Amino acid sequence: MNWRRAQLAAEPYCYTLPAVLLICAVILVPLFIGLTYAFHDVRLLDPTSGDFVGLDHFRELRDDPAFWNALRNTLTWTIASVALQFSLGLILALLLNRVFPGRALVQLLVFLPWAIPSFLSGLNWAWLFNPVVGPLPFWLHALNILSAPDNLLSDPRHALWGPIAANVWWGIPFFAITLLAALQSIPADIYEAAAIDGAGPWVRFRSITLPYLAPTMAITILLRTVWIANFADLIVIMTKGGPADSTQILASYIFTQAFQRLDFGYASAIATVLLALLLAYALALLALRSVFVRQR
Amino acid sequence: MTRHAARWLLAACLLPLAQAQADITLKLVEVLTSPERTETLKGLVSAFEAQNPGTHVEITSLAWSSAFEKFATMVSAGDSPDVVEMPDRWLSLYVKNGNLESLEPYLAQWSETKGLNDRALEMARAVDRTAYLLPYGLYLRALFYNKILFKQAGIAAPPKTLDEFRADAKKISAIPGKSGYCLRGGPGGLNAWIMFGAAMAGNNVFFSPDGSSTLSGADWIKGTAWMVDLYKEGLAPRDSVNWGFNETVAGFYSGACAMVDQDTDALIAVAERMQPDQYGVAPMPKGPGGKAFPTVGYVGWSIFKSGAHKDLSWKLIKVLNDPAGNLIWIKRVGALPVYKASEKSPIYSSDQLKGWFAELADPDEVPTIMPTNLPGFAYFADSLVVKTGQQALLGQISPEVMNRQWAAYLTKAKLKQVGGK
Repeated sequence: MNWRRAQLAAEPYCYTLPAVLLICAVILVPLFIGLTYAFHDVRLLDPTSGDFVGLDHFRELRDDPAFWNALRNTLTWTIASVALQFSLGLILALLLNRVFPGRALVQLLVFLPWAIPSFLSGLNWAWLFNPVVGPLPFWLHALNILSAPDNLLSDPRHALWGPIAANVWWGIPFFAITLLAALQSIPADIYEAAAIDGAGPWVRFRSITLPYLAPTMAITILLRTVWIANFADLIVIMTKGGPADSTQILASYIFTQAFQRLDFGYASAIATVLLALLLAYALALLALRSVFVRQR
Repeated sequence: MTRHAARWLLAACLLPLAQAQADITLKLVEVLTSPERTETLKGLVSAFEAQNPGTHVEITSLAWSSAFEKFATMVSAGDSPDVVEMPDRWLSLYVKNGNLESLEPYLAQWSETKGLNDRALEMARAVDRTAYLLPYGLYLRALFYNKILFKQAGIAAPPKTLDEFRADAKKISAIPGKSGYCLRGGPGGLNAWIMFGAAMAGNNVFFSPDGSSTLSGADWIKGTAWMVDLYKEGLAPRDSVNWGFNETVAGFYSGACAMVDQDTDALIAVAERMQPDQYGVAPMPKGPGGKAFPTVGYVGWSIFKSGAHKDLSWKLIKVLNDPAGNLIWIKRVGALPVYKASEKSPIYSSDQLKGWFAELADPDEVPTIMPTNLPGFAYFADSLVVKTGQQALLGQISPEVMNRQWAAYLTKAKLKQVGGK
């Protein structure tokens, strides 16, 4: 009898075992090996490397101004990109949720950037910011945002906004698609009932739309933040982290250390810090979400 | 997996055709890939395959922009080729890691070795005085200048000294929308820093006898400060702080800037878009000491130690790089010759190319090999110099601070190199 119970208890674990093993083999094991690199002197093509160095890499990191600069840039890059993508995506989703002639076509066009490879959109935006062929410097100058029609990407104070603009353009559809799907799942009769009770558009948005969207918002913002913090394609293509490191983020700094300096140990140490920060962020956001959902 | 499967399938299909002896596959990696270049390489390789029945050459083409990291990871993972196209700046890395086969025994027996010019042999033996590569071509910097813009600014001839260079750049920059110099502040910018620094310093000695770098010396700083001032005074496009190879070349042929220091390979793109009478090529301008130090680079073929068919690999290199094969190849890639006889070839007879031969003939134009044989040079050139150079151009740090950072890095690398021997 006891044996039978144990069997029953073990049954679900048997079902999940293959998946768990697979996850361990392809995710956790490489992750663990990568983490151990952070404590070793791992340099590619250097026969003298391989020693255990303890926390040396992290001490070096603490005194590395380029690391702190990259961390600051990562924050600006991630917060600005996510905030703009999200707010513009939400506005788009709300607009597309109404019925109007030609809606299908507009929806299609709105989702187009998402289908363009990031490499291509990075190149396009780099050319748009180039004063020889691109119109943007002149428009920005005419709007008094730039003092002269120069390339935004070569100005160290504002260069990061170039890739951010490209990223926002490229990433809006993600929020628009997911939020539109969530919007369409809200039952229409709730809005009708609220309207009959005299609720105006703002009250309806705040009391019905927002709470219904909250779970989707939380999870999409979480996903996008982690994604964007790790997303160096556009930066590498548009500015290569320059000029003078002004657009270097942690992800591109890791790439530089690993593949230009061939110092995998130091690169892993930076990656470990980035991983810890993103994990902390994810936990905080999930905790916030559960509080929010419970309140509802 | 699929590639493996495809190879098996291919092997199975070819089985009936295969000869009695087992086929040999040589792996060849090219790292400065372009589609036309790969075609030329395939042509040379098929000649080799025809001479050696049963031998196949598998070509792997890496794009230069990511070749360094890709090739380093390939080799680290044990996926080494038999023959590789080896640029000067990677050479010491792979020699020090014990990956490359010495070519000296092969060169000693080869009848064409004596046809190589002295420069080529010197470069082959840049690391540990042993030939670890057979150079196929040299890349020497010279000054491209736009004749139309020069005329417009009222300048008769290309600048001969740095003072003239600066004065000419100023006159051209006075034309609205034009700049004097196509500065390269992004990847690959090191050459210009070194050339102007050395011209001001009057020598191309990078290290003092004790192994410390001379780049932090006052005369070198004068040269880098000279280039920073050029940028700050608006004699180069503001954009150029980010420019790499493509941007400087495009800036030159579009007429946005009138002078650019480039190698022969830039001629390919420039000649496509400018008429021969619209531009010229002159030796690099000289410094106050009456000398100029145009940088010279080289690329060649190397054999990996791990390969099982080294004699065959050498045969392949011979086909690629004997005087006949080499001439086909350098014509395609736009490099200066490594064979004495090739210098008289008609492919080097154009007016533009005479600029380079004038430079080579002038004893005061000293071809300068950057310290590419240092471990960590790739990081120095592609990362540290780009970052600090941009900081200096933008006025975030002084040229003095920049030079000191360079010297600190180079000194450390030099000591490591000397200690590691």
